[in-house]
Amino acid sequence: MLSLLILIPLAFLLLMNFLTLKGRRMAFAVVMALSFFQIYAVFCPTIMANRPLHGLASVFDFTLAVDGLSRIMLLCIAIVIFIALLVAAPFVKEEDKRFYFAGLMILELMGLNGVVMVRDIFSMYVFWEVAAAASFILIALQKKRDPLEGAFKYLIFSSVATVFVLSAIAIILLISGDTSFAAIREALRVSPHSFLITLAVGIFLAGLFMKAGVMPFHGYLPDAYASAPAPVSILLAGVVTKTLGVYTAMRIVIDLFGFSASLQSILLCIGLISAIFGALAAMGQKDLKRLLAYSSISQVGYIFLGFGCGTPLGIAAAIFHIFNHTVFKSLLFVNAAAVEDRTGSLDMSRMSGLASRMPVTGTTSVLASLSASGVPPLAGFWSKLFIVLALWQCGHYGVAATAVMASLLTLAYMLLFQRSVFFGTLEKGLEGVVEAGFGLTLPAIILAVLIVGIGLFFPYIVHTVIFPVVSY
Amino acid sequence: MMNLSLPLLVLGPFLAGCVVMLAPQRTRFLKQALVLAVTAADLVLCLRLFPQEVTFFCPWGAYGIDFSLRFYRFSAFILTAAGGFAFLIAIYSCVFTFAKEKSRLFFTFFLFSLSLVNGAVLSDNLIILLFFWEGLLLTVFGLIAIGGPTAFKTGVKALVIVGVADLCMMVGIALVGHLSGTFAISKIQVPLGGLGSLAFVLMMIGAISKAGSMPFHTWIPDASLDAPLPFMAFLPAALEKLLGIYLLARICLDLFRLVPESGLSMALMIIGSVTILLAVMMALVQKNYKKLLSYHAISQVGYMILGIGTAVPIGIVGGLFHMINHAMYKSCLFLTSGAVERQSGTTDLERLGGLAGKMPVTFLCFFVAAAAISGVPPFNGFFSKELVYDGALERGLVFYLAAILGSFLTAASFLKLGHAAYLGPRSETTQTAKEAPVFMLIPMIVIAAGCVFFGLHRSFPIGQLVQPAVENHLEGQDFSFLMPNTKLVAVTIIMLLMAFANHVFGAKMKGSGLKAVDYIHDAPVLSGIYDRAERRCFDPYEWGRAMMRGFSYLLWRLDRGIDWIYNAGFPGCAQVLARTLKRWHSGSYVTYLGWSLGGLLILVIFLMSTRSF
Amino acid sequence: MLALNIDIVVLFLMALSALWTVMTRSLLRSAIGLALTSAMLTILMFRLHAPLAAVFELSVCSGLISVVFIATISLTQPMSQEKVLQHMKDRLERFWYLPILLILTGIVLSFLNLKFNLILPAPEIEKDPRIVLWNQRPLDLLGQIIMLLTGAFGIVILFREAKKK
Repeated sequence: MLSLLILIPLAFLLLMNFLTLKGRRMAFAVVMALSFFQIYAVFCPTIMANRPLHGLASVFDFTLAVDGLSRIMLLCIAIVIFIALLVAAPFVKEEDKRFYFAGLMILELMGLNGVVMVRDIFSMYVFWEVAAAASFILIALQKKRDPLEGAFKYLIFSSVATVFVLSAIAIILLISGDTSFAAIREALRVSPHSFLITLAVGIFLAGLFMKAGVMPFHGYLPDAYASAPAPVSILLAGVVTKTLGVYTAMRIVIDLFGFSASLQSILLCIGLISAIFGALAAMGQKDLKRLLAYSSISQVGYIFLGFGCGTPLGIAAAIFHIFNHTVFKSLLFVNAAAVEDRTGSLDMSRMSGLASRMPVTGTTSVLASLSASGVPPLAGFWSKLFIVLALWQCGHYGVAATAVMASLLTLAYMLLFQRSVFFGTLEKGLEGVVEAGFGLTLPAIILAVLIVGIGLFFPYIVHTVIFPVVSY
Repeated sequence: MMNLSLPLLVLGPFLAGCVVMLAPQRTRFLKQALVLAVTAADLVLCLRLFPQEVTFFCPWGAYGIDFSLRFYRFSAFILTAAGGFAFLIAIYSCVFTFAKEKSRLFFTFFLFSLSLVNGAVLSDNLIILLFFWEGLLLTVFGLIAIGGPTAFKTGVKALVIVGVADLCMMVGIALVGHLSGTFAISKIQVPLGGLGSLAFVLMMIGAISKAGSMPFHTWIPDASLDAPLPFMAFLPAALEKLLGIYLLARICLDLFRLVPESGLSMALMIIGSVTILLAVMMALVQKNYKKLLSYHAISQVGYMILGIGTAVPIGIVGGLFHMINHAMYKSCLFLTSGAVERQSGTTDLERLGGLAGKMPVTFLCFFVAAAAISGVPPFNGFFSKELVYDGALERGLVFYLAAILGSFLTAASFLKLGHAAYLGPRSETTQTAKEAPVFMLIPMIVIAAGCVFFGLHRSFPIGQLVQPAVENHLEGQDFSFLMPNTKLVAVTIIMLLMAFANHVFGAKMKGSGLKAVDYIHDAPVLSGIYDRAERRCFDPYEWGRAMMRGFSYLLWRLDRGIDWIYNAGFPGCAQVLARTLKRWHSGSYVTYLGWSLGGLLILVIFLMSTRSF
Repeated sequence: MLALNIDIVVLFLMALSALWTVMTRSLLRSAIGLALTSAMLTILMFRLHAPLAAVFELSVCSGLISVVFIATISLTQPMSQEKVLQHMKDRLERFWYLPILLILTGIVLSFLNLKFNLILPAPEIEKDPRIVLWNQRPLDLLGQIIMLLTGAFGIVILFREAKKK
């Protein structure tokens, strides 16, 4: 039944093209319905239980599988797609473009779902490319100079990452003779630590790191995020890089390579560099979206820190942080979109005091910033706490302390951003600004409620959702 | 049995408070109606649930922190009383005039307080209890602070004093959790001794400070002048007493099982006696209606602590009976003071007089409540005091003497208060006074009637309310039909007569009711002590502040040094780093690709060098 | 002998189309050339009894890289004739050493005599490419369909707009 998560969007995508011009206006609603279906599916045991199909339906019986980690990613994907569509209304105005935008969203959805559910390294690559291709078309959608450049940069770096990953897959195929996870595991068990395998692991990880945009593989990321239209930024920061980079890395390491001392130290090292330098770089930014992009790099660093522990607690913390990051970063990008929509600019030096004019945006962005900085009792606090605890448990005391310091840096740049955009006296020329429309405040409120709710009910969520993920 | 009405008791008032807070300015009438409806519903719900024992359990968190509520005889008693007071005071507040449209804030905090008190009494988990307990701190602060500009300072004072005590309680709770391995109140059983004693003392500090005992009392007299009056009648006079004594009783009876021979019982009794005497001495010389009452609010707590501290059944029953009695007559007295202030514009006793003829109903209520607090038979205060005396005598003559002396002084000070405010010649301010509006009178009359009822039919409150709550500790005794000890009654009556004689004598000597006890104030040693007390020399809060000032100067010097490092050092570094990083991000493909390839190389070389992945 | 000859012909064709891909001026033609090259390579792999590799090749090239190229074309401006000539000349001057480097690397590698511990799969002679595609890797097929759809969307969005201008 898992194949439904790919087949139903595909069917809708095909059917959508037969709609009349009038019917095409419903495209957004169709995609929203798809995202709701996905949220429902994640919690529906009959869909999640992958029973083999019989008879004619067996044509659609693909080798897909889900576990707790995949389900959380599926949930993230559905939420972010939904939010991105809500936000898209003021940014994609032309009627036909809206239709294509919705189509691309479905493609993106299928690509990401595929990556999350497949258990074959090559199929994973295929869906990986689907998602990547859909993303750069989405970035370039506006056909202005900046987005085109951002899309091109993303394309180039994406291709480089593709080359890395493809070469690694080739080497692995050379060794194992098949590309399914089971076969690879078996091959690795028979001949571990050979020169070729080590090479393949290195290249593979480098490719994934590029996709995840951790330092020093991150060069393209701020440009891509900053130049993309607002809903696409939300999509990119929220799930695309997380799924294509972070999730895949987790999946590969947990399922195939296993944690070894040197892999752990690589993950920790990369995580630490990204967490600290991402935060520092964010501090120097004047452009709101660019700041958020660097912040994203820093948060991905955090995720890798938790993941690098290799303990169940660390992995759980990393997953929890992925989800939290998805929520608060999407919220911040929604806020950025609201600010951009109303003031026409993202230059932080030219605005201040917007909180009085845009109360909902101001308040929700404060919540998101605090969650990002790990202030209790918001959602971000708990995941960061768990990450630090996991590090401490593993004996990485120095890393844990540095992670706390990086959290302070996060607070610092988030406060800088709040001060220059929302607090203080109103900048001249912004007197006419009013609160953003319903399409931007509704997602902001939904996400803010998620942040606070998860923060308050964290023990329940941790016990019922997060910890079961790693209880294998 | 799971019962959703328990969380409703907590959430209902809270949500109503939110509604009041967010409601538009002009809907004053609707807001009042909502407050009345909610408090009435609260009361009705408590009454409906009354005889049952119900629990509510919601696993909330890890580490034994569960959202569990328990409604049983003891908490039912407290909750019903709290609901009743809340309803009556809500009626009263509807006609009370608040400064500068503060009524919205008042009602918001009022409902929040009710919700928190309900939560604290219901909670069956120490952590949850602490949550509600600390929440009450904030609403107390808010309620005081709406009194005006000077009230803010008093609010801070209350916040600091109660906050420190709550901190002690927090440590105590942590210790209890550590010792017993659970936070579920109904399962905790900690033996006294060693760490257990320390935990007991810490938790006791939290409980008696909420009740307003010495030495955590100093904010109450200040608040009586600054804060809006319904607040005084609602929290310090009624609900905080109920809550504090409730917790004290739970600590002494359930969590730790205090025994009469222990030193801790002695300590409690000493605290009780000292509080009775010192506070009533201060009350005696006050020249302000409300301030005088507030000192009595402190003094009467002494009786309850003394009663529970005796750890003998009769004392415990007496202490708890006194708690409910005190809540009744003290809130009634505060309400009369509010009525007097509203009608005559002042509570300064020197400017009052002869109100009895102008405000007969108020006077009648005052009379009943004052007689009850002074322990005049057959009002309720008399009987509860007799029980406490009995218990105190069982433990030691000196405690009994302290209690009876306190009773004498109480009677003296109320004679003085009644004489100065209601009798005697009329002053300018009272010439034009009229009877208070009927909505102010209703709560007063109801409570005063309650005082009479509880006195005449004491078997009902003792037998139906107090004794079931502590039935495990009665050792099979029943006090509801017990006739007071004749000898003690005789002593009490002699004391009351002496107080009356003393008043007559003093009034004749000085020529006015107000100055009837001035000779005590002017006595050679006492006058010096009183002077200092009035300059707040004995206020631990002031000591703390003085100490803090010296300490903070030291810290300030140190702080400047560290501050420089933070202000100039760290941000400087961060900025330089941020700028450098920004310069590196030039947007060039080649640079970025170079980084990525460099990263790849390092990664592969590292993996190769370790020969493992 | 005949079989070998066919292989060589295909190999030759592949080299030719690859060369065309690299040398042609029009990016569109170069994309078509790439597709041709990959098709030749696929045939070659089937002939060499490596159907799995052939399927992978098909997936990667015909599906993905074509789309990448088309997206790239849509993002770049066509150059004028003189510019193209100039560019070719520049390219020759700048990259003359690359073929030499390639040959040298080949020679060095052949001397190194590298040995890898490989578990080679059993030769899959009997397997029909259709069986491989349909029965072994249906998911890839689905992925390819989606990929092509994405490509179509990309072309529609990016190209049509360009034409309007």
